[in-house]
Amino acid sequence: MSNNCFHCLESVPSGFSATVNIDGSEQPMCCIGCQTVAETIVSQGMTDYYKFRTVRAGKVQQLVPEQLAFITSYDNPDIQDEFISQTNDISEVLLTVEGITCAACAWLIEKQLLNIPAIKRVDVNTSTNRAMIQWDKERTPLSELIKSLMEIGYKAYPFQADIEASQKQLVAKAYIRRLGVAGLMTMQVMMFAFAMYFGMFSGMEENFEQYFRWISLILASPVILYSALPFLTNAINGLKAKQLNMDLPVSLAIFGAYIASSYATVMQVGEVYFESICMFTFLLLLGKYLEFRARLKASEFTANLQKLLPLTARTLDKDDQEHIIAAKKLKLNDRVLIKPGETIPADGVICSGTTTVDESMMTGEHLPVKKYIDHQVFAGTVNHDGVITIEINKIGQNTLLNQIIKLQHSALATRPKLVEITDKVAQWFVACLLVFASLTAIGWYQVDPAHAFWITIAVLVATCPCALSLAIPTALTCAVATLTRKGILIKQAHVLETLPQLTRVAFDKTGTLTQGRFSIDSVDLLVDSISKQQVLALAAQLESYSEHPIATAFNMYTPEQRHLYDINVHPGLGISGHDDNHHYAIGKSGWFDNSKCNAQATFYVDKQPVANFYFIDEVKDNTAPLIASLQAQGLTCHMLTGDASSAGQQIAQRLKLDSFKVGCLPQDKQSEVELWSKQNEIVAMVGDGVNDSPVFNSAHLSIAMDTGADISKNTADVVLLNSDLAAIEHLLIVSKKTRRIIKQNLALSLLYNGSILPLAALGLVAPWMAVIGMSTSSIIVICNSLRLLKL
Amino acid sequence: MSIIYILIPIAILFVMIAIGVFFWAVRGEQFSDLNKQGHSILFEDDKEQHNKSND
Repeated sequence: MSNNCFHCLESVPSGFSATVNIDGSEQPMCCIGCQTVAETIVSQGMTDYYKFRTVRAGKVQQLVPEQLAFITSYDNPDIQDEFISQTNDISEVLLTVEGITCAACAWLIEKQLLNIPAIKRVDVNTSTNRAMIQWDKERTPLSELIKSLMEIGYKAYPFQADIEASQKQLVAKAYIRRLGVAGLMTMQVMMFAFAMYFGMFSGMEENFEQYFRWISLILASPVILYSALPFLTNAINGLKAKQLNMDLPVSLAIFGAYIASSYATVMQVGEVYFESICMFTFLLLLGKYLEFRARLKASEFTANLQKLLPLTARTLDKDDQEHIIAAKKLKLNDRVLIKPGETIPADGVICSGTTTVDESMMTGEHLPVKKYIDHQVFAGTVNHDGVITIEINKIGQNTLLNQIIKLQHSALATRPKLVEITDKVAQWFVACLLVFASLTAIGWYQVDPAHAFWITIAVLVATCPCALSLAIPTALTCAVATLTRKGILIKQAHVLETLPQLTRVAFDKTGTLTQGRFSIDSVDLLVDSISKQQVLALAAQLESYSEHPIATAFNMYTPEQRHLYDINVHPGLGISGHDDNHHYAIGKSGWFDNSKCNAQATFYVDKQPVANFYFIDEVKDNTAPLIASLQAQGLTCHMLTGDASSAGQQIAQRLKLDSFKVGCLPQDKQSEVELWSKQNEIVAMVGDGVNDSPVFNSAHLSIAMDTGADISKNTADVVLLNSDLAAIEHLLIVSKKTRRIIKQNLALSLLYNGSILPLAALGLVAPWMAVIGMSTSSIIVICNSLRLLKL
Repeated sequence: MSIIYILIPIAILFVMIAIGVFFWAVRGEQFSDLNKQGHSILFEDDKEQHNKSND
């Protein structure tokens, strides 16, 4: 029997033995969670899941009662307004489901939910990790659906689609429809085109040829007038903005040739090019759609992130009775009770209780802030260890969090942009094309006026920048696919073009350059009677009961196996406990005495200080090599941190950064970056906190860590899924390679267009030659782009 | 050969129907997740145990 859990494939811990009978053989399980899930799957007859899954399942975590209570709060009608839409008796909800890894998961979830009679329809999307559910809310509450997903090991929460995301969905669908029409119709048009090609060699009856032309016209019309329409609108929009973009030569060729061919059909003169322009439209749409889809996937991933603010709040009425209401219904001066571990729903002032608050999502600093009565707390921050009651003094748009978000939106409008390489190429391409086409027209008009028009059209079709327009989207799609495989999500199209031009990189400190968690830097023993190991072991045991962020620093030390009782957490002070002989405590310095020392924690035995601890936020292993390599490539590296302490300076000196600035507010970071871009520097910002999100929109390029705040991931152009800074170097390598491939592609396609141009101008290119030349050049370009997949 | 004058319009009619079906499929979200639909044929939906739990 193997030692790995059959459900999640993790190793089975020694001492735990449980098996589940799956399709006739006993399979080992690693924990009660996995066992329960596997039993449910077997009892529902869904073992096909194990047969066909391609990716292992996640380890199942058991629910704690608080989470269950939280799920039940989704049934509150006020809260449901935000994510449930109702038509007649049927409600519709979009759930984000964590842990969907392959098609088998989707099947399992659909099967499980369809067992519930109230459910009308389930549609699981494995690329967005979302499930759309239509059901009768009266018969089964939403919380039951979520619990039923928990039974098979998936965590789900309602998804609130924002406008941008749903618009992108619409665009994606429009792309597919246009692509489908272009594909189906192009096949038909090509079929008739081939008949006409053969007719050209072996002769064809006049009326047949005319008939085929009419049929081609009818079949090509939807492709040109529906599928190719976005090219025309883009070109016109570009012209209105006084810009020549790539869509202009494309539209000139497609619509010019279409009009001329229709005229030729009706008037029974000249040549028709329906098959060329149909195929061209199809290939181009395909390239654009693939590029769009690659980016859509990335942005859908980050859109799944949970919202920053809680949906519910616990208000106290005059008689101190608790009521759970929707957070958006909070009013000024409401009193709200906040328990340990909960997220604060609105800005307010503490009116009773003391606590420490984790404001890291706001400031990026992980050291929790102590809060007493009359202190201000902010929406979105997490209450740590004390129970507090706050009086709301700011709601909605006025909260600090929303102010930061507003700052971020206003920065977006003025974001610096680089001219895209396509547009540069397009400008002179259009110019050359127009000049050449008019020269051809004028030249032929002198020689043979009857043929002048048709030869000009042939020039337009032959020089149609098909391969040229595919050169960039195909290369970008392949590069994005390669990067996604390495855990680097690219959300914006400009990223790969901006990267090779960077001149400066600015880093946030905590969580970006550093680990963002504490480790013990040094221990000062104050008495001789106890060894350092003993102190660490005792402290580790005490801290294992604490949820304070500093407690994680002790994780790596083996806790003492002593029996401690009376464990007490003292908010703002520390944690204490007894064994049979002594009283132990660890907490802030000067807890039991008035000693003024700057240690961050002190360990006490019988209320006498025994050891002082100093903590440090360690620099990530691969930070130093990355900075060195960036500097070797001629980039200047900066640090912009919100932390005002001396730690920033130490780190900057250790990493040999070119400059650093401490104690920055979000606005300060923004103005710093804006100053650089005014000096014509191309700046990238790497960060992770909410405080970084405004500056993300001021920089040319923004990179977020996966461990960072959700809002920063939503804003950033690039998300590093493994939060590994070394990925930035990989990103640079791929972007440089992509640039090289794009240049090759452009050269190849211009070579084709350039060589066929004189032939077309001399009137030597028949429609069938144009089709073959165009497809060959496109295929060569696509194959060249595919090389990026091998990086 | 004049049969071609009738056959081709009929063929076009079929293409129109195909496009109609395609649009319907797009609206039904069948193209939003290409991964899942491809695998759906592998799964048995009517196992005995399954029917029991539906009762």
